[in-house]
Amino acid sequence: MMEIAGEQMRSAAPAMGEDNGVSPAERRERQERRTALMLISPGVLWMTLFMVLPMIMVVYVSFWTQTTFTVEPELTTDSWVRFLTSSTYLASTWTTVRIWGIVLLSTLLIGYPVALFIGLMVRNQTLQTALLVICVIPFWTSFLIRVIAWRPMLGTEGAINMILMKLGIIDTPLTSLLFSEFAVLIGMTQIYCVFMVGPITFMLSRIEPSIIEAARDLGAGFGRIFFKVILPLSLPGVIVGAIFVSVMVLGEFATAASLSGRKVNLLGNIIVSQVGSLKWAFASVAGVILTAIIAVVITALLRVVNLRKEM
Amino acid sequence: MLSLSSVTKRYGDVTALDRLSVTVPDDAYVSLLGASGSGKTTLLRVIAGFEEPDGGTVTHDGRRLDGVAPHRRGIGFVFQNFALFPHLSVADNVAFGLRYREDNPVRDAAELKKRVADVIHLVGLEGLETRKVTAISGGQRQRVALARTLVTEPRLVLLDEPLGALDANLRERMCDELRAIRERLKVTFLHVTGSETEALLMGDTVAVLSAGSIAQIGPASSLFSAPRSADVARHLNAYNVLSGRVRKGGFEGAGGRFPLPGELPVRDGAPVEIALRFDRISVAPAGKGAAGGASIPARFIASEFTGASVLSFFRLDDGTLLQVVAHLSGPAPRSFTKDELYDLSFNPQDVIPFTERAA
Amino acid sequence: MEARVLKPVLGVYCAAFILFLYGPMIILAILSFQGPGGGPQFPIIEWSTYWYQHLLGMTPPGRISRLPIGDSLLRSLTLALMTTVVSTVLGVITAQGFRARFKASGVVFYLVILGMIVPGVLVGLGMALLTNMLGIDRSWWGTAFVLHVVYTFPFAFLVMLAIFNRFDRSVEEASLSLGVSPVQTFRRVTFPMIFPGVLSAMLFSFTLSYDEFSRTLFTSGRQLTLPLTIYGTFSVEIYPNIFAFGVLTTLFSFTLLLIYALLMLRAVRSAQSFKGQEEAE
Repeated sequence: MMEIAGEQMRSAAPAMGEDNGVSPAERRERQERRTALMLISPGVLWMTLFMVLPMIMVVYVSFWTQTTFTVEPELTTDSWVRFLTSSTYLASTWTTVRIWGIVLLSTLLIGYPVALFIGLMVRNQTLQTALLVICVIPFWTSFLIRVIAWRPMLGTEGAINMILMKLGIIDTPLTSLLFSEFAVLIGMTQIYCVFMVGPITFMLSRIEPSIIEAARDLGAGFGRIFFKVILPLSLPGVIVGAIFVSVMVLGEFATAASLSGRKVNLLGNIIVSQVGSLKWAFASVAGVILTAIIAVVITALLRVVNLRKEM
Repeated sequence: MLSLSSVTKRYGDVTALDRLSVTVPDDAYVSLLGASGSGKTTLLRVIAGFEEPDGGTVTHDGRRLDGVAPHRRGIGFVFQNFALFPHLSVADNVAFGLRYREDNPVRDAAELKKRVADVIHLVGLEGLETRKVTAISGGQRQRVALARTLVTEPRLVLLDEPLGALDANLRERMCDELRAIRERLKVTFLHVTGSETEALLMGDTVAVLSAGSIAQIGPASSLFSAPRSADVARHLNAYNVLSGRVRKGGFEGAGGRFPLPGELPVRDGAPVEIALRFDRISVAPAGKGAAGGASIPARFIASEFTGASVLSFFRLDDGTLLQVVAHLSGPAPRSFTKDELYDLSFNPQDVIPFTERAA
Repeated sequence: MEARVLKPVLGVYCAAFILFLYGPMIILAILSFQGPGGGPQFPIIEWSTYWYQHLLGMTPPGRISRLPIGDSLLRSLTLALMTTVVSTVLGVITAQGFRARFKASGVVFYLVILGMIVPGVLVGLGMALLTNMLGIDRSWWGTAFVLHVVYTFPFAFLVMLAIFNRFDRSVEEASLSLGVSPVQTFRRVTFPMIFPGVLSAMLFSFTLSYDEFSRTLFTSGRQLTLPLTIYGTFSVEIYPNIFAFGVLTTLFSFTLLLIYALLMLRAVRSAQSFKGQEEAE
């Protein structure tokens, strides 16, 4: 209160000098802080209005009353009860978590050796950059196109079946490749793997070669060096990659919609289909549950490594 | 005239400037000597307005400066790293202030061109006007930085270790040029440096900054011959400083006992520090110290030639290091044996005692 | 010794990984040259550019309906451009604000970063609920646009924050000490020097917005953007025309990338100097 009063007095009588015990220096610093706050306020306002408010809305509407085609702002837990007692929806929650877990693991297992090669084995800067650029270039293709591109690969008459038959490995085409959980998993792994490769490569490329040489001089084998030196030093990269992949996979619905033939229903798909049939309250419940899962996953990942300290 | 009164600046728990007061006269070359961490850069930044003091006032020609935005202070600043505008040519760097300043910008192209040409001539950058500042040498960048500041005709120019980034040869030449340019323009230069030779060479007036405040300010010669505190003596890098106690009007401490000149205003047993110039000490084999004077026994460690003189290091029993300078123009200095004991003799009249710490 | 074996093995593995990344797109590109009677799979019954012509409306109307890309392409480009401008401006001024120390900076930082973490389908849902309640019509240039900015602004902000972290403040101070006001200093010194960063922020914003669909799905109203048009084909049978479209849109993105690379090269050349000054410190 005192401060506000002081400000008003000063703006009324700017020439009074050191009134209210505020030195000119202090006044200038306040002025500069005010300028900084003015600069950040449009961004803060934007995020509050268009992100925080909608998210609050999701939580709020999840307690509204759902009628056939509308929602009424009468608070009820009906939608929650229906969701939590429906085996279909609980199953899709479980599917979401399962798909996330498998994709996280497969991107890590497939991506780590690639990062190991680019970040640690290739010591030529230009080649290193070139390899990373090659990995990133597919991102300049539309995400949806990259999803669709798996259809002619995996289909009954697709490229993989064709090659396998030509090689004589199979006689009849595999029908379970496309429109199955496998298709969703391989599609997501391919699309999100680079988010794992990038951060790990970054951390690995920062390891001093002399550290590894020193360990080797002490007689440590590669396995020992890997688990004692390389893996711990690259852990922050793994965590950052895991956060990227988790956030994207958990919010997914397009890959499942395109490649699973409606066999895989993630929480994202539930939201889309419920909105499609105007079940807003129900979509909101799924949204809140999805938010909770993401929050838990990210918090858990951040527990593993203190990123602020490592970066 | 620039004057700072009781200026204090803290960063967290660290006090960079501690109730610092100083007056810088007009049309003078003032050098400010301070070790790294003494707060000298902070002092310049407070004067320029890049930082605001936590307490105290800064006035320039009767105008209160603290709280005024830096671009309204009318004070030039030459950065240690030059801080040139990398996207502009030499001429555009120099013209920058005149062209874009808030107060009285020069809009007339012909006048702008003339004033830029004048200052480029003054600092000797002719022929480089269209070059990118990235395509010129370190010494030339220094000149651009200076020209860019001088062209706006500030009454006071702050120079933050302006020669620090130059090699030794260039530094000497720039020293002379800086002095000449300043005398021609009649502006005040406040030049901060960590080098005592640079400070004494450049400044008409030298101020020694120690622990966030001005320890002594005065003409270079008087400062050098009569430091007012042990701190100042240490900064000048020409004095051995010993600490001990007053005993019967004399000194007692590391190195033994010897008489002190004049009457000391303290009681017996009070702590005292003494300063003894490197070049006022003569070295003799142990037990053969000059009679009549004072002498301290010490072991020889090493010598090093510094061009016109030899600098020798000796160690007292308690570990204190003493330095002795012998000029090569004098009687040929003996070579000493390592770890051998010698007598370091001097005239007690040359000893400068400091008792203020005791108070 | 093991490393000597490991390196070539990992090299081969890495090559296989790159094939895994590019394989589907290569197959898609090959199949886009399928003949008029062929399906979205092998074998290629005859090589032709029929589906490209079909896409561009140069074939007589037939059994397979044309992809409505004309209008949606225009909408997506406009939307991406709007998003680029707004999120880059927001990114630059917010990052500039972050250069001064203020108490709430931690909270504000996470608030902004949240925009790239929250799944699009969630904010999309929330925005749809909000507009329902307030009775506002949804449109690609309104509700979808603000959500696109929510998504791309954090990227622009992070890019600019990284640029300002490496920025030599003394150059700005030099300008101030010459009597140039802070606003002019920003315009004449800061902005030219951070321009390469601004370009990167713009590229990020444009490509992310151009490809964004989960935020657009619930918020664009009746008029579809390009990704939504493609999404619409997910539920129906696909034809090679969508493959042809994939090839074209990829080529378009690469053109954009090339323009960016050329602009960047020019900007970096003119601001290279930075290094020279850091040596002096």
